[in-house]
Amino acid sequence: MKKIISIPIIVMFIMTAFACTHQDDNVIRIGAAGPMTGDQSKMGVDLRNAVELAVAEWNEKGGVLGKKIVLLAGDDQADPKQAVSIANKFINQKAVAVVGHWNSSCSLPASKYYDDANIVMISPATTNPHLTLQGFKRVFRVCGTDDQQGRVAADFVLSRLHPKRVAIIHDKTAYGQGLADYFKKALGDKVQVVYYGGIIQRDPDYKAVLSTIKENNPDVYFFGGIYPEAGRLVRQAKEVDLNIPMITGDGVFDPTFISIAGKSAEGTYVTFGKEPAGLSTAKTFIEKYRAKYGDPGPYSIYAYDAANIILSSIAETKSTDGGKIAEYISKTTFHGAFGDIAFDKNGDVTKAPYVIWQVKDGKFVEVP
Amino acid sequence: MFVQQLINGLALGAVYALIALGYTMVYGILQLINFAHGEVYMLGAYLGIIVLGVLTYWGVTAYSLPVALLITVLVSMAFCAAYGAVIERVAYRPIRNASKLAPLISAVGMSIILQNFVMLSQGKEYKNLPPLLPSEGFSLFGANVSPVQMFILSASILIMVGLQFFVAKTRLGKAMRATSQDRIMAGLVGININQVISITFMIGSSLAAVAGVMVTLYYGVVHFFMGYLAGIKAFTAAVLGGIGSIPGAMLGGFMLGLIENFCASYISSVYKDAFAFLVLIITLIIRPAGLLGQKSVDKV
Repeated sequence: MKKIISIPIIVMFIMTAFACTHQDDNVIRIGAAGPMTGDQSKMGVDLRNAVELAVAEWNEKGGVLGKKIVLLAGDDQADPKQAVSIANKFINQKAVAVVGHWNSSCSLPASKYYDDANIVMISPATTNPHLTLQGFKRVFRVCGTDDQQGRVAADFVLSRLHPKRVAIIHDKTAYGQGLADYFKKALGDKVQVVYYGGIIQRDPDYKAVLSTIKENNPDVYFFGGIYPEAGRLVRQAKEVDLNIPMITGDGVFDPTFISIAGKSAEGTYVTFGKEPAGLSTAKTFIEKYRAKYGDPGPYSIYAYDAANIILSSIAETKSTDGGKIAEYISKTTFHGAFGDIAFDKNGDVTKAPYVIWQVKDGKFVEVP
Repeated sequence: MFVQQLINGLALGAVYALIALGYTMVYGILQLINFAHGEVYMLGAYLGIIVLGVLTYWGVTAYSLPVALLITVLVSMAFCAAYGAVIERVAYRPIRNASKLAPLISAVGMSIILQNFVMLSQGKEYKNLPPLLPSEGFSLFGANVSPVQMFILSASILIMVGLQFFVAKTRLGKAMRATSQDRIMAGLVGININQVISITFMIGSSLAAVAGVMVTLYYGVVHFFMGYLAGIKAFTAAVLGGIGSIPGAMLGGFMLGLIENFCASYISSVYKDAFAFLVLIITLIIRPAGLLGQKSVDKV
């Protein structure tokens, strides 16, 4: 009896396996990877939407190399293990290039798989410096790095806020801890770091660590991490009577941070790229994006540029070979929605202008 | 600093204690660990944010905040009590006399169903509540006691005293104690067992609802996965205090909150959970039945 049941099941499995391997080769597949579920899901969805927009535009013009472009979306759930399995999935599906991942802790392990499989990877948001220092020829990023960001934050703190004592906390991820360390290094011995420690992601209660910081009496505190934690931190800081400004990195630059923290967010400093709306190309992007998906996220425009760099490189080189595309990318200056983009020998952008933003009246405003 | 951490720890502990009471009452009466209880707490938090939203829309919050909070707590309690009764009726009663593992698995299944139900109906994103109460409270030995913390502490102590009175003095409380001692004998002397068990679930669930509303006010964020960790913590608190014992659950909850806070401030904020579980293990080695638990004697 058991055998009779299992035969159709086996047949079904074989059929699904066959259906998976048999793919239409007359298309070009581009991956988009980031956290699309979970508490950082907004970032992954923003990223995927932007890539989808770029792909749709190219398909309207007839695709690339006469083939239609197909978008593969991969949800890494901000989890390094999941990121590797997404990378393997893209490799099996024969993706030519990938826009992603979002988190440093996901991009770092996934990058090796893409490079080995001859797939070009451009991360729109991973700022951990190690990503491009691994010697991988096919790995690029279109945003800045945490050592640049940490330096900008430290310069700002030293020259404008003149603190005597500084506290530093991070979320123990490759991104958060990395950024906190670069900030600390850039401060040097000019100020006293009175507290340095980690917090647990997704923990609802940070009052204990905030009370400890208050006890050490700093003038400003730095946080290396992402917006859900940052929102809870500034909100609870007010409740333990810790009334000093927080300075933090690009991972917090999102309206969700302000909606979690409410009025407590006021005065928080964030390092991020320049306002894109000033550029005319950026304006067209924002209008198109808004018409389709609503307001773009902070990294949408980076993802859009990354996708366009990949697609135009495929068109120029007339090839789907990752090595050739990567070589072309590294030598060319692209005119993206966010301005001109050129890469150095590691795969970092040559210009990464970080500026300081501050929350004022519920909005991020560039600090002059 | 010490006083501030003490107050933070007590407020967190009160939340744990309220959830732990639900675990311990159900265990006392059915010897079942109701793993869906953490999700009832999560439902309570969501209901809190929804009801407060509706009340703000109707202008009740602007008219009088205490009235709005009272309505929120009561509505959330009523809904969660209904959830508790339905969970018991659907997931536990049909298999009450089956082997001990069956209701346990049913509980885990119920927990997954509720989590996914909320995820699909309310979304995967964090839901936020802007701070309703001012963060500035009164100063106590240099520590800031915020109005939310005062609300949490006073309300939870009031509820715990009320519960203790209910179980010790009322007829229904007596019926509950009798059922927990011997279900069959209690039935034979004319106690409606099904009703008593339903009421136990309803009380436990409404306490979790209060904890949920409190946490919504306290942290301002709710998430469909929040019941998982809170459930485990509260279960730990119930075991620490001695599962099946109502004063034990209260003691365990407050202890766990204090341990977490003091560990985070004096040892390491990263290892506070590890430290809390370490204390649990040591306690169970010294007192296997928990702090206030009684060693069960096999009935002959």
